[in-house]
Amino acid sequence: MKKEVPIVMGFILGISIIAGVFVTGVPWLTTWKNLLDEWFLVVQAWAVAVGVVNLTQIHSRRVSQKREGWFYSVWLMICMFGMIVFGVFIAKSPQNEGWRWMYNQLIAPMNATVYSTLVFYIGAAAYRAFRVRNLEATVLLVAAVILMLGRVPLGKVLLGGTWIEKTADWILNVPNSAGMRGIQLGATLGAIATALRILVGIERGHLGGTGE
Amino acid sequence: MWEKLASIDRRVIYALMIFVLALALLRPIGLAIVPSAETKKVYDYIESLPPGSIVYLGFDFSAGGIPELMPAAKSVIRQGFKKDLRFVAVGMWEMAGDMADMAFNAVLKDFPNKKYGVDWVNIGWKPGGEVLLQKMLTSVNEAAVGVDFYQNKLDDLPLMSEFKTLKDAKMIITFVTGTPGEKEYIRHVTSPYKIPFAISCISVSVPEIMPLIQSGQILGGILGMKGAAEYEVLVGAPGSATAGMDAQSFSHALIILFIILGNIGYIRTRKK
Repeated sequence: MKKEVPIVMGFILGISIIAGVFVTGVPWLTTWKNLLDEWFLVVQAWAVAVGVVNLTQIHSRRVSQKREGWFYSVWLMICMFGMIVFGVFIAKSPQNEGWRWMYNQLIAPMNATVYSTLVFYIGAAAYRAFRVRNLEATVLLVAAVILMLGRVPLGKVLLGGTWIEKTADWILNVPNSAGMRGIQLGATLGAIATALRILVGIERGHLGGTGE
Repeated sequence: MWEKLASIDRRVIYALMIFVLALALLRPIGLAIVPSAETKKVYDYIESLPPGSIVYLGFDFSAGGIPELMPAAKSVIRQGFKKDLRFVAVGMWEMAGDMADMAFNAVLKDFPNKKYGVDWVNIGWKPGGEVLLQKMLTSVNEAAVGVDFYQNKLDDLPLMSEFKTLKDAKMIITFVTGTPGEKEYIRHVTSPYKIPFAISCISVSVPEIMPLIQSGQILGGILGMKGAAEYEVLVGAPGSATAGMDAQSFSHALIILFIILGNIGYIRTRKK
């Protein structure tokens, strides 16, 4: 029963959502799907609470066992619970000055900093990866250099004319688009297949098992 | 010597990158920027909208996307306000309300006659991702739980009386860094209901976006900082993206220089 009930529920709810999206003109089905959408929003909001519990369990264990880098776990929990306590009991509104300050002056710059550091990693990774080891690597190297020069104004200044820009556009519009379409089609078909396996109960990993 | 060239310490690359970026940002030389076809399509479509049209802006990014997406958002709002368009901003990402607030406040200095609730509304982040979009197709008020980012009741805002569902938007533009993003709009809103859809995305997403532009599911795109800089040029208000293009140009040149050096070192040591 522990496995069968969730599978049956998953099947009924999953089919309801699919039918609700693709079948029109059936009022009760639309009403049912709208209700399920609302449930989804509530469940998703509560998933945050589950996430907090999960993070607390994992990081408490790391601290109690004094694993490598345990002090980062302490800091994570201080920040997490600090924001929760401040938000729920002190700020009580997203418009609270202190709350907005924490968000705009702490979280936003940190978020931007993490993203900004990518340029350094990408630069170093490009230097190490783009080597003329074989034909495939050479093609990748040439395409990367053309795109790097063709997508910035300096390319035209250094090389003259618009050929570099046009070549970069061609790479993006023809070989890149063809490859991306293939990847996206493949990924979508894979997602449909996985969804069907979950709906009919073949795939059971989400129930805590090991699959089939 | 050749071995050294083939294995330059990454800290050297980091240090030179910081130097080049800082120099280009502090002393930009103003390389010429010519708008691309994708950017021009977005600009032209907004120009073709009649005054008073409501445009939905999806602020689907967080602070990491500010350098590439914020200049585009400001330029679109600037163009829209010039044409007397009205905006409703919503977002599937938690920082949506803050991002929209930042963009509108930066532009409003030049448009003091534009009023909140009449010319623009910032609903902010609402949870649900693609389910939120589906709910907004039947009722924006219900999907947003009746309040905007500033805790005003949506019923009290005049603009919202004309924007009951997403279908009331004459155009949807999303500023996006990932998922949820453009695919959710295409699946549930813009393709099924034939609502014109444009996008502003970060540079790393461009290869993924191109097939969607080619297929017509997205009418045009402000692609990366390059697209944002082009849009600033089109709107006639050069800003941070225009300045940033110099930094991007020189950082690309530096990376190419290192790639060349690395390959010289690699070829010489391989022959040995």
